[in-house]
Amino acid sequence: MANTRFHRRDFLVSAAGLALTGPALAQGAPRKGGTLKVSANANPSSLDPTTGGSGSDHSFLYPIFDTLVDFEPATLQPLPGLAESWSNPDPKTLVLNIRPGITFHDGTPLDATAVKFNLDRARSDQRSNIKGDLATVESVEVAGPQQVAIKLKQPDSALLLILSDRAGMMSSPKAVQDLGKDYDRKPVGCGAMKFVSWNDNEKVVYARNENYWRSGQPLLDGLEMNIIPEINTALRAVVAGQNDFVYFLSPQQKPLVERAKNLVSVSGSTLYCVVVFLNFSKAPLDDVRVRRALNYAIDRESFAKATMAGLSEVATTVLPKAHWAYDPALADFYKYDPDKAKALLAEAGHKDGLDLHLIGYTDQRQQQRQEVLQEQLRKVGVRLRFSTFNIPEGSAAFFAKAEGNGLVSQWTGRPDPSLTFSLLYGKGSYFNAGRQEASPEITASLAESRASPDLADRKNAFARLQRQVLEQALSVPLLFQFELDAHNAKVKGFTPNLLGKPRFNGVWLDG
Amino acid sequence: MLTRDRVRLIARRLVQVAPVIVLATFIVFGLQQLVPGDIAVTLAGDNASDARIAEIRKLYGLDRPFLVQYGSWLWGALHGDLGRSILSGEVVIDSIARRFPTSLLIVGCALTLSLAIGIPLGILAATRPGSRVDALVTSIASLGVALPNFWLAMLLVATFALNWNFFPATGAAPLSAGLGKALLHAALPSIALAAGGIAEVARQLRSSLVEVLSSQYVRTLHAKGLSPAAILWKHGLKNVSVNLLTVIGLIFNRLLGATVVIEAVFAIPGIGSMVVHAAIHKDFPVIQGVVLALVLIVISLNLLIDVLYTVLDPRVSQK
Repeated sequence: MANTRFHRRDFLVSAAGLALTGPALAQGAPRKGGTLKVSANANPSSLDPTTGGSGSDHSFLYPIFDTLVDFEPATLQPLPGLAESWSNPDPKTLVLNIRPGITFHDGTPLDATAVKFNLDRARSDQRSNIKGDLATVESVEVAGPQQVAIKLKQPDSALLLILSDRAGMMSSPKAVQDLGKDYDRKPVGCGAMKFVSWNDNEKVVYARNENYWRSGQPLLDGLEMNIIPEINTALRAVVAGQNDFVYFLSPQQKPLVERAKNLVSVSGSTLYCVVVFLNFSKAPLDDVRVRRALNYAIDRESFAKATMAGLSEVATTVLPKAHWAYDPALADFYKYDPDKAKALLAEAGHKDGLDLHLIGYTDQRQQQRQEVLQEQLRKVGVRLRFSTFNIPEGSAAFFAKAEGNGLVSQWTGRPDPSLTFSLLYGKGSYFNAGRQEASPEITASLAESRASPDLADRKNAFARLQRQVLEQALSVPLLFQFELDAHNAKVKGFTPNLLGKPRFNGVWLDG
Repeated sequence: MLTRDRVRLIARRLVQVAPVIVLATFIVFGLQQLVPGDIAVTLAGDNASDARIAEIRKLYGLDRPFLVQYGSWLWGALHGDLGRSILSGEVVIDSIARRFPTSLLIVGCALTLSLAIGIPLGILAATRPGSRVDALVTSIASLGVALPNFWLAMLLVATFALNWNFFPATGAAPLSAGLGKALLHAALPSIALAAGGIAEVARQLRSSLVEVLSSQYVRTLHAKGLSPAAILWKHGLKNVSVNLLTVIGLIFNRLLGATVVIEAVFAIPGIGSMVVHAAIHKDFPVIQGVVLALVLIVISLNLLIDVLYTVLDPRVSQK
């Protein structure tokens, strides 16, 4: 797989009018030194991976914390990380061999006891936000000085990639015990950068970890994440040269990036899926024919063109093309077919059209999406009425209070697709607004997708699961939003990843 | 300077401070309850479950009755403890102490600019009513009031920061980084904020000064043979100064409010951006803390102005 690294996804790098096929081509010899200044989009919810909760935290956490399992940026397949290898002696045991000789920033060694401490804390601490991630873990045992055996309640192959996320970020047990609640704001990991300071809504500062285990890294002396929630201001800070790098730009900013002299734009597909969540437990969307009609009624290509300025990939399921569990056979499952949509609606008893109440968000981009959807669905006789809120309120209205028939929002993806599917469509899950079981087959397939540790087996399981979810039309995936980043010409060695959460490992500053 | 009347005025005001603070923080706290949204959902993070959300509500005491929550905040505040941000755990007093000076510097510079430019413009117009200068000042003032400050801010950034690189485009520097650096960062946001203030000062000063200068006693002064300059400085301005003081108080309050928008445009880590972030996520210890600080500042400024009234106009204290 390694040789297909840069072909699996559509990178776009353009520097001062030069179009290049991959970031690796644009760069000379790595150079040590300098501080990378980044415009970051949101204040972290916490710098303790266990107690934090926001998806935008990861870019702040990656420099401090290495994960037990790493991932291939382009496909998200598992790679060795702090665990140099692993095995499954039986389906209900995962053995991790921890790389020897690594120490945390405070000098505490990373051994089996430290790993056990972290996993147990994630499973049981009152303030842990990731108990759900490790729900299938029965116990964690120290099997040797550098060996941990994770005993499972049932086979769970999703665990490996779960350990590439928050649950796999290792904190110094000593720091956690000494600092208690204050550890949220004084993290100690064993990553490439040491934490220096965090001023809320202002900046997080990092300095080089001289004892980092990957040889020759990090190349940077330091890192500064300057928190600028307003994206136009964030970009301006880079154009003006105050910051070097900005991520999570909107497609509408692409022309601005291109017009700015000496700015390089990086974009690539991500798991970030724009989707209409449906409450399939409630009439009229408890009728599968209506849900299918919605999927047929949307012209995704023109939706993407109208709303994303070309920076997107059309979606049928919630996994993008580059993902290891994507099944190309499903690409045209719901080809745009307004006549079929009308027929299905008539069959379901909505001959004279159908009124749906959707929840949406108030910002300009979201409103544009809502308008395009309204217009497209109007053509098949579906009349959409929107109630709009800011993001937390709208999400709570739909997911927690079960208001409305649907929510126009986005799914930010998860490191393992099993998580994505069980969170979205599993019985009783928060993101399944009606909380009801979609179908017994889907419940069975969800379990099956976690049963085998073999990636090929899992691929088959996911193909089946995705087909069932599509047949049931449990949501209306629209498109995958590309990540759009911009940086000045000094920044080298940045590789975007499919997770869409920038990691600055390997980055260096030229000149 | 501290006459008995003034001491009594200050004492009376200090007695009023406590109920105002309680009322203001209570109303703001109550409003937060009315606004939909739930910080527990935000805290539960990306993999939320109903059980986890309920657990978090309990963990942070969000399941307690409204009055109990307010009461425990107030009790803490009375003991000098404003708590910690629920979202990030930062100590609220620390964030306020770090951010207030940044905002105050900008507001202070904007107020200084408003006065330094607005007063001469107002005098210029008032001493030549109906002239071309007057018409020009009036149109500048109308423009200043009409221009949205965020738009002016972006225009200033595009010109002076991005094109010419005279000023930094974003951010702020604390005074500890040196006065020059702090002022350089504060320049563009202050100018953007000051546009409205300049207009307000010029307009108010013009109208009240025109009134004074056309009054009977000024005609008498002219007849007495006083020079126009002496009339203006000794009698005209002294009489409009009470008015001007009122305007300053109003402008200061408005500038403080306007920082919410300006700080977003310039990515300034001040009080405005802090309260916006907290309000969106219903991080109530932060909101309450900022409201408390703002109320204190506004009340102190009003008190100062009231005392100055008695200095400028002895009739005030006798009333």
